[in-house]
Amino acid sequence: MLSMRHLSKAYYTDTIKTQALQPFDLSIEQGEFVAVIGPSGSGKTTFLNITGLLEDFCGGSYELDGVNVEKLNDKAKSKLRNEKVGFIFQSFNLIPELNLYDNVDMPLRYRKLSSKDRHERIMDALNKVGLASRKAHYPSQLSGGQQQRVAIARAIAGKPSFLLADEPTGNLDSKMADGIMELLKDINAQGTSIVMVTHDAQQAVKAQRIIEIRDGMLSERKNYDKAIA
Amino acid sequence: MFSYYLKLALISLRKTPFLSLLMIMTIAIGIGATMTTYTVSYLLQKDPIPTKSDRLFNVRLNSYGPDKPFNISQGKEVPPFILTYQDAINLQNAKQGVNQTPLGSFKIMTRTTEQSITEAKMTPIRSTYRDMFNMFEVPFKFGGAWDEIADQDGLQVAVISSELNDKLFGGENSVGKSLLLGNLQYRVVGVTDDWYPIPKFFDYRTRAFNKPRDVIVPFQTQINNELWTGSDVSYQCWKEPADDSFSAILASECVWVSYWVELNSAAERNNYMDFLVNYSMEQREYGRFLREPLHQLFNVKEQLIERKIIKDDGNVAVWLAFAFLAVCLLNCMAMMVAKFHGRAGEVGLRRAVGASKQDIITQFTVETCIIGLLGGILGLLLAQIGLSVTAQLYSHLYAEMLEMTAGIVIMTVLLAVVSAVTFGLLPTLHAAKVQPSSQLKSL
Repeated sequence: MLSMRHLSKAYYTDTIKTQALQPFDLSIEQGEFVAVIGPSGSGKTTFLNITGLLEDFCGGSYELDGVNVEKLNDKAKSKLRNEKVGFIFQSFNLIPELNLYDNVDMPLRYRKLSSKDRHERIMDALNKVGLASRKAHYPSQLSGGQQQRVAIARAIAGKPSFLLADEPTGNLDSKMADGIMELLKDINAQGTSIVMVTHDAQQAVKAQRIIEIRDGMLSERKNYDKAIA
Repeated sequence: MFSYYLKLALISLRKTPFLSLLMIMTIAIGIGATMTTYTVSYLLQKDPIPTKSDRLFNVRLNSYGPDKPFNISQGKEVPPFILTYQDAINLQNAKQGVNQTPLGSFKIMTRTTEQSITEAKMTPIRSTYRDMFNMFEVPFKFGGAWDEIADQDGLQVAVISSELNDKLFGGENSVGKSLLLGNLQYRVVGVTDDWYPIPKFFDYRTRAFNKPRDVIVPFQTQINNELWTGSDVSYQCWKEPADDSFSAILASECVWVSYWVELNSAAERNNYMDFLVNYSMEQREYGRFLREPLHQLFNVKEQLIERKIIKDDGNVAVWLAFAFLAVCLLNCMAMMVAKFHGRAGEVGLRRAVGASKQDIITQFTVETCIIGLLGGILGLLLAQIGLSVTAQLYSHLYAEMLEMTAGIVIMTVLLAVVSAVTFGLLPTLHAAKVQPSSQLKSL
């Protein structure tokens, strides 16, 4: 359902070309939980941004749920992103002026859904993360772990095929981090594919597959312990 | 979706109240100043009688004596802007236009027959032929113009303004009631209905923005009753009258009567001019009109410019006001850039969850619309204050005259919204261009 062929990414300045990602092939099937590891600056976030259609790639091809994204315009890409992809960020990225309900509502607003439909999806997502009773609260009234749960609710409210998580436990203590990982595993168990960028070896080993990126080179590690070491 | 954007706009305004207020105030000040200037200019310079301003003419005859011209302007001889009594009557009798009338004026103590003499008030009176009502499109609340016999015989009838009717007769239909002008009794035949031509093109320059006179009587009535107020008329002679009597003034070469004619079309102007030249040639037989026949016809706009009632300067003040508005909007634009730049993180997030650039542009445009709308409403209040200050500064303008029309009110708010959206376009497009991936680590 996600297929990248000879995909590469380079950044250009006036005189310098920086190869962020060397050409690579990758397929991720429905329901997989993939961890992406690698040192800082290796290209993990670039990979995630390309996967989530937030950045363009330079060469190769990319099909998301059977749609070739290469020739899509901004509107079509935005629609595809809205319907197929949910993002979870390290720093939660909630809008502080909106309450939890409205934060979760955000991706649904860009779909033509009735307000009843939206309400059902929002409450369903908030229920899944255990925060339905606090829907009228604002992000500043929550702990870090709870804020990340809201961000997850926002990501899953649109019922995407993919969740793309960029260091989702990076700003949390280990207890909260474990709670978030449990939640992600539950979501994954219900059929949503997850691609998670992480520095945390403890969290990476919980994924079914591990992809390592080093100096822009993408490779798959079958032996988890070795990969992390 | 619009209500969602509206909600986001209001949240955004609340988030940065000082900056938002500053933007709204900047637009309001620009709009207030511009619309005050524009309204004054529009109201003072609009066509006072648009249906016929190009075929309504002020008549000027070069009736001055051979020794010196009436006036020289830019090296050219200029005829007097008023006529002698005898010329006015001759033109009136010739009836060459659709409507025509001399305009005279005087002042007299006025009261109703029920009021005591101490309650009489000095009142400026207009004297004219009945043609004036039709020619100047005077609306009537009660009754109408007097008949032709009243014109010919100078009957003591009067048309009064609705304001005077309110004061003297409590606003009732006063047609048939009596009015005392001096010691003479006049019968009211008509009451005008809110007649405020702006500018009052047929009057002297100094009175162009006053209300029309409250009492109008037949021209011949003024003549029959020898009603004359030296201070109320422009009165100039190249040869003194034979004596001080009223009849000597009428028979003299002194000019004091303003004369207006309505023609069927603007194209008939040349024919009427030929008529004036022929008339002056005929008058030479009586030793009159010995100068060049430099007669003139001024249509309403030409009259207003020539009499310096309006300026033919392309509205420099209005252009300057709009330039000031542009400066205000540029300032506002700079503030919008700052405000929207501060929301790059939110834009990045919205893009990540599926908003297209178009969605972001719409969201921010709704916000600039709200800023423009609030600025426009506040600007409207400032413009009202500006207009009332202007009305106080220029006491010759009556206060009601400087009221915004519904059209100007709508235009003010629209101008504010359109300006805000136009000047907000650049910051909005700039905001929508944000690369989402660059913002998502920093919200």
